[in-house]
Parts: sequence; C-alpha cells; structure tokens
Amino acid sequence: MKPPHTRRVVELKIPNELGYEKIARETVGTVAKRLGFDDERIADIKLAIAEACTNAISYGSQTDTRTKIIVVLTADEEKLEILVKDPGFGDSPPPTEVTVPDIHKMVEGKAKLGGMGLYIIQELVDKAEFIQSGDDNGNQFHMVIYRMNDEDIEFNAAKST
Amino acid sequence: MSDEIQVDVQYIDDKTAIIHLEGDVTTFSEKDINDAYKAASDNDNSNIIFNFRENDYINSAGIAILIGVVTEARKQNQRLIMAIPSSHFQKIFRMVGLTQYADIYSSLEEAKAQI
Repeated sequence: MKPPHTRRVVELKIPNELGYEKIARETVGTVAKRLGFDDERIADIKLAIAEACTNAISYGSQTDTRTKIIVVLTADEEKLEILVKDPGFGDSPPPTEVTVPDIHKMVEGKAKLGGMGLYIIQELVDKAEFIQSGDDNGNQFHMVIYRMNDEDIEFNAAKST
Repeated sequence: MSDEIQVDVQYIDDKTAIIHLEGDVTTFSEKDINDAYKAASDNDNSNIIFNFRENDYINSAGIAILIGVVTEARKQNQRLIMAIPSSHFQKIFRMVGLTQYADIYSSLEEAKAQI
C-alpha cells in the first residue's frame, strides 16, 4: 500500500514552440484535479502555467525548437509547486519586478499591447518568482499554490488551540 | 494552431452583430478574431456582442487581441458587449481592466436583452 503523504513529481519536456504550452496546461489541470483543487482554482493554475511557459518560449530561448522547456510539478499535502526552466538564450535577463498593465494607455495607443503575463500569474498563484538557476545559464520560474484556502487555515488553527 | 478556435459572425438586426467564439483565445486566434470584428463592423453595426462559451480558454495574448478590438470599437463609437458564462474569464477581464471598456453579462440572452 502506498504511503498517504509523499511527494508526487511530474516532469515534462516540451518543444520550444508556441502552442506546446498547452501540454503543460492540460497536464497541470489533471494534477490539480487529483489534488482536489476546485474548478476555479484549476483554471487559475492552468492559465498561470501557460503564461509561464509562453514567457519561457518567447523570451528565454529565442524560439529555438531544438531546445526544450522543462516543467516540473511537485505536489505534497501542503502545496503544488511549479518550476518552468528555459535554456536562457533570450536577449535580456528576466524582469526583477512586475508592472501592473495600464489598459488605458494601451487603448489610447500610448503603450504597447501585451506585457500582462507576469502580472496575471502573480494575481493567480500564491507565490511567483524567478529563482537563481543552478549550473547552467537558464532561467527558472517558480510558482507555489497552497492546497488549503484561508478558511481551511483558520479552521485548522482554531482546532489546534 | 488557428484551428483551435472557431469564430462565426451572426447579424441579428441592422445595428447588432454577434461574434461567436469557441475554443482557445490565444495569439493564434488574432487573425480570426480581427477578421470577424471587421466583418461584424461592415454593416455599420453599433453593437458588437462577443459570445464566449463556458469552457473556452483565454491567455494574456488573447486579452491583448481583445484590447485591440476595444481600441478600434472606441474609434467607431461602437458598444462592445461580452457574454461570458465563465467566472474565471470574468475574473481575468476584471483583473486587466477590460470590464471598463465592455459591458459584461453571464449569458448571451442577458447580453442581447441589453440592446
């Protein structure tokens, strides 16, 4: 019999080409459903991972389809962690801060359309950040989604006192 | 990849057109959506309804396409109405501010009733 509380890890390698982020999106949807996230949260997680993969493909790799984007999903009883790694062949380093998109400027033609991906990710998951890469020069984007919502945390805290 | 979305235009009277979308609203749907919007605007329609489905998907590139439509609709003095049954979709639209430029309803019936 399997132990009830162990980490589950799913690792994907997807081609460095726009459109293939859908594989990561569908995979994380399946994992999140198994973990018991509700439909709204699953939709959030699917969008967040798709945006992260799209960024990795668009900015981290010069869309070289010979390279791969690596996606690692790690689930335990507390959280779902997502790591998206790209080869780091992009022209510029990852941004250090997230800017709130100004739709008014976009509509008035004073700002370029787009640039909303990181902001959306930040709004949808509990934690999102670029982290220091290991041995290679690639970028690593890390996201965390906690399995308990605020009400669960308050309920458990009340129970333990 | 553009086959991931199906876009159809329906003219319901001399002032209103409905753009029905089915599938993924991403960078690959830009031409289909812009072509549909142009077709919907050809008859000088002053009301354009975007009709999304419950299980559709949109990402930031798709939102950027819709902001482009909003920009054009303002120039044409058109009213943009969006029928969005998905609460996730509605949340994303609020997040980026699209709800300030389009009237959002939960169903096509509600959206049509506002015309």
